[in-house]
Amino acid sequence: MNKYFGRIVALLLAVVAVALVVVERSYRVLEMELSAILLPALGFGRALAIPERESLIFGIGTNYTLGLRMTPECTSVFLVIPLVLIASLMAFFRPQAIGKVLWALGIGGAVLILTNQLRMINIVYLVKTLGTERGYYWGHTFGGSMISVIGGAVALVLFVWLATRGRRAPSKPKKAVAA
Amino acid sequence: MSTGALDLLLGMTQAMALTMSVAFITYVIMIIIPYLRYKARPTGDPAAFSWHFIVPCRDEEAVIQKTIDYLRTTFPQAHVWVIDDDSDDRTAGVVRSMRRNGGNRDENIHLVERVRPYARTGKGDALNAAYRELREFVGFMNPHRCVVVVVDADGRPSPNALEVCSAKHLFGDSRIGAVQMDVRMVNRDVPEAGARGFRRWFGMGMVRMQDLEFRTAISAIQMSRGYTGTIAMGGNGQFTRLSALDSIAGGTGSPWRGSLLEDFELGVHLLTEGWHTGYTRDAWVDQEALYSLRRFLAQRTRWGQGTMQCMRYAPRIWDSKHLTTIGAAEMMYYLLQPWMQLLGTMIYPIPFVLLGIRTWNEPAAVATWFTDGAWILFAVYGLFGLLPFLVWGPIYWWKCERKGSFFQSLLWGLGYATYIYTFYITSWRAMIRLLRGQNGWAKTRRNTEEKVRGAVVALDH
Repeated sequence: MNKYFGRIVALLLAVVAVALVVVERSYRVLEMELSAILLPALGFGRALAIPERESLIFGIGTNYTLGLRMTPECTSVFLVIPLVLIASLMAFFRPQAIGKVLWALGIGGAVLILTNQLRMINIVYLVKTLGTERGYYWGHTFGGSMISVIGGAVALVLFVWLATRGRRAPSKPKKAVAA
Repeated sequence: MSTGALDLLLGMTQAMALTMSVAFITYVIMIIIPYLRYKARPTGDPAAFSWHFIVPCRDEEAVIQKTIDYLRTTFPQAHVWVIDDDSDDRTAGVVRSMRRNGGNRDENIHLVERVRPYARTGKGDALNAAYRELREFVGFMNPHRCVVVVVDADGRPSPNALEVCSAKHLFGDSRIGAVQMDVRMVNRDVPEAGARGFRRWFGMGMVRMQDLEFRTAISAIQMSRGYTGTIAMGGNGQFTRLSALDSIAGGTGSPWRGSLLEDFELGVHLLTEGWHTGYTRDAWVDQEALYSLRRFLAQRTRWGQGTMQCMRYAPRIWDSKHLTTIGAAEMMYYLLQPWMQLLGTMIYPIPFVLLGIRTWNEPAAVATWFTDGAWILFAVYGLFGLLPFLVWGPIYWWKCERKGSFFQSLLWGLGYATYIYTFYITSWRAMIRLLRGQNGWAKTRRNTEEKVRGAVVALDH
């Protein structure tokens, strides 16, 4: 892969990073809609995403019905953006690794998105088991922070490992050995 | 600013702070593992090599005699090359007198004299001058079997240094071009002469933190670099094969370049030329730590500025076919450190400023929010911010200085977490110097020196 291709990919990734900031509200709606699919599938009752308020009502038809709004502080989009920017830099500087970098970005990004879903599931689970006040309190504060930190660490390690794995650096020049 | 925009800014900065913190915690965990698992390795035969210590000096009359004595006594087979960078004191005279040795000339002591205006243009230039004289001296001797050791005028390599560096996995491996030894602070238990009360306590703390930093965190970073193939060179206890220096010296005979971080720069050139580098904790070099915060800040500002200058090597690092992607990424991470600290000083306070504004506008709502659980977030993030530094205190106590209680080791860890914040100051100072084009530096004064005579050691260029 030549340098120009690397630069084009790097530029495209930088554009993606900016675009994610611009469309962050739509991204949050998508995250709520994904939760609305996952929660019923996991047995937490019916859930409904409300796009105009970036909110989710879960546990519909149960005794723990609650609405949650996804604020810019709670979305995974701003965690994905740094990975996109690092991938952009790597594509710029090492075009021969673009395939690996994009693959790593896909996996790392997916882990971050799933981590945020796990955070939502955790809140819903605690609300269901501990009640609205205590469940939300622990799910949104301590539990949510721990899941974010651990998920973020897993995403970063996977990203770095997948993007950079390869054989060790070759030996020094032959002329020096002969000296 | 509208509420929506404020929320967006808060979300972005919080995510950025979380990403940077998580990245750092993950990094610290990854470097602690090889550090804790380290075991001493077999040594080699130093007679297989010819050893040349290079000691750059400017106004080192107070310490140079003891250093030469130590090097000649501890390593009798080695040559000692003292570079006098046009000292105003009797540094050169002391070296000449030791070489004369009362009529029984010591042929293993050499003096490399530099004279203004060609002197005092930087440590790299001084080392290059010694390299050229040494190159002439060794002539046709196999350069692959000659090792050049850079030691500061107050440096004391451990007596086993040559045996350790001759080991099979270090210079015994022909791919290894350079080896860096562990660095320790010789005055870690010595209070500053004449200091009393708080100044004495603070000075001792500063010295302890420098010892802890070099023997734990920096050592762990170097060990992890063994996996990425990017072990860096330091300014003291730096061993380089002469053939490796030859391969990067170019037509001017200058293996060391002009940045303020000439040791790191040397490593970059060696690695991108295809040499491997090694690191060992089995041998070490003792050097003097600084008691004074002011001198310490000046030293670290110079290092920060040097790191910023070395950013120019980013394309060279990424283009090198000798460095793996993880290796190039690790070097970039290092080079980005001062820039990340600049970014950090701008990003980390934003959530607090916004919180302050909100508290001012809606004190009751913020108080409820805080007591309803937000305090846990503060506690968690505070802990994550502290732990990666705090942990080095107990590790230092466990692996390096088993004295005092475990509680004391926690205090060392807390001290280290505070000490690290000085880098936010030094990175900004380095940035300002860089913007002003100030690349010249006064010599970092030794603890025994009261004032510096003469001008800067590196000129603006």
